Amino acid sequence: MQAVRGGAVSVRKAGKVYDPEGLNVVALEDVSFEITPGQFCVVVGPSGCGKTTLLNAIAGFDKLSGGKILIDDEVLARADKAPKPGADRMVVFQQGALFPWKTVLWNVICGPVQQGRLSQKEAITQARELLGRVGLSKIEEQYPGSLSGGMKRRVEIVRALMNDPKVLLLDEPFRALDALTKSVVQEFLLELYDITPKTIFFITHDIAEAIFLADRIVIMTTRPGRVLKTVTVNIPRPRDYRVLTSPRFLQIEQEVREYIDSEARKAFNAGERELAQ
Amino acid sequence: MITPPIPVQMAPSGPTARTPLRRWLARIFTMEFALGVLSVGAVGLIWEYAQPMGIPFIENLPPLSKIAQTSRQLLSSQLYWEGWQYSLQRITGGFLIAQAVGIPVGLIMAMNRASFETLFPIVEILRPIPPVAWIPISIVFWPTRELSVLFIVFLGAFWIVVLNTIGGAANIDPNYKRAALSLGSKPSDMFWRIILPATVPSIVTGMAVGIGIAWEMVVAAEMVAGRTGLGYLLWQSFEINAIAQCIVCMISIGFAGFVSSQLIRIFGSYVAPWQRR
Repeated sequence: MQAVRGGAVSVRKAGKVYDPEGLNVVALEDVSFEITPGQFCVVVGPSGCGKTTLLNAIAGFDKLSGGKILIDDEVLARADKAPKPGADRMVVFQQGALFPWKTVLWNVICGPVQQGRLSQKEAITQARELLGRVGLSKIEEQYPGSLSGGMKRRVEIVRALMNDPKVLLLDEPFRALDALTKSVVQEFLLELYDITPKTIFFITHDIAEAIFLADRIVIMTTRPGRVLKTVTVNIPRPRDYRVLTSPRFLQIEQEVREYIDSEARKAFNAGERELAQ
Repeated sequence: MITPPIPVQMAPSGPTARTPLRRWLARIFTMEFALGVLSVGAVGLIWEYAQPMGIPFIENLPPLSKIAQTSRQLLSSQLYWEGWQYSLQRITGGFLIAQAVGIPVGLIMAMNRASFETLFPIVEILRPIPPVAWIPISIVFWPTRELSVLFIVFLGAFWIVVLNTIGGAANIDPNYKRAALSLGSKPSDMFWRIILPATVPSIVTGMAVGIGIAWEMVVAAEMVAGRTGLGYLLWQSFEINAIAQCIVCMISIGFAGFVSSQLIRIFGSYVAPWQRR
């Protein structure tokens, strides 16, 4: 197990107001939490609670309207500061964003090569080693279009890790996968996490997935998004599918569901009201 | 973990087993193939014997055997091959200039809002005018007939490639751009490694449609304004009432159009190998 190098994420009073046609939709309000270096942090919350907004702010795709976000005490996003994406924060997208016009190998090496961090040769050596370690070496010359959903997800995670980021940001990455593939890819992510622990910010709707993966779960409220509660998951690693039926797991699940259920109802009723108007 | 596959009962090999030759024949001589041969053969027979059988309208056409005889004569004449040469030169010239101008214009319009707002009204006013309608003005405007024919061919392929390039480049999944930014793409990387490859399939589609329109235009322009070429030869044959020769020209142009589309398809699978199925 490698030592963790930095990657403390600090979200302080983050706020975001969208203003399409003067509607003033408050997506995030006074969101504060800390992720310690190497911690696996999972955010759960009902649809439209601003989870993706928060991830986009950390990634540097979107501007905050209040508060700030720091990584290792360096201000990354602030209301008056235009955000900047960087290789220290790699994103794995919900729909996947492997470049379909390039082979798996090129997709995996493109980060370090474009940043000038590695020569193409070094990057290829490193990529082959990493792909081989996770059992993906046979597909390096294929195009992403010919891979299954689970394969694509794994390649995308490998591509992100090739950049040796401080923080890995995953936005519901396994949402479109079937239940069996999902559990395989979850175990794959945990395996990689145990080999190279990184700070991880992971968004999901799936409570079981959250508990299975996380060190800490941040539960958010329905819009405007706020932190409702954080729950610590003290289940020892390495974890595998047997964890899912352990008493400790079920106890945490019970706790998380109680918090989430009322929020989900609120979100559902708000949706009904919007439809009725 | 993985159980060995259950042995599958293989079909007994013996006199009933299909040899590779028989399998190959069976794949070619399908019901679809038989129906195709039947329909084409029926049309050929009706055409050949329309005159003795007195079938209305079709009896005015020279029989198929006459066409075959005429094509033997025409194919050995220099006039015919010169026609091919001129038409091919015009198609190649007009089509390539349309790509060389249309692709950059489309890309600039897609990437730069101001240029889009400036140029799009002009495009939308001129585009609905059929290129054929440009022939008289084109003859007045350009110093030589050759240039005016070239211009009409150019117009035939131009609008479609501009629109397809805009459509392709403007509809790139924003997550590809975000991923590229995170991976450290510089603006030049963004253009050459993301925007251009993502647009290539749409450009090829534009070319495939454009080459078809270009052939229509070269024939029309040669009929009206040309002194050479397959379209001119076709019209001249009609003027001297050589209908069989007319039909041979028609078939030649159809064949040329078919070959051009195949060439575009080959080009497409070469520049967009990830789209090969």
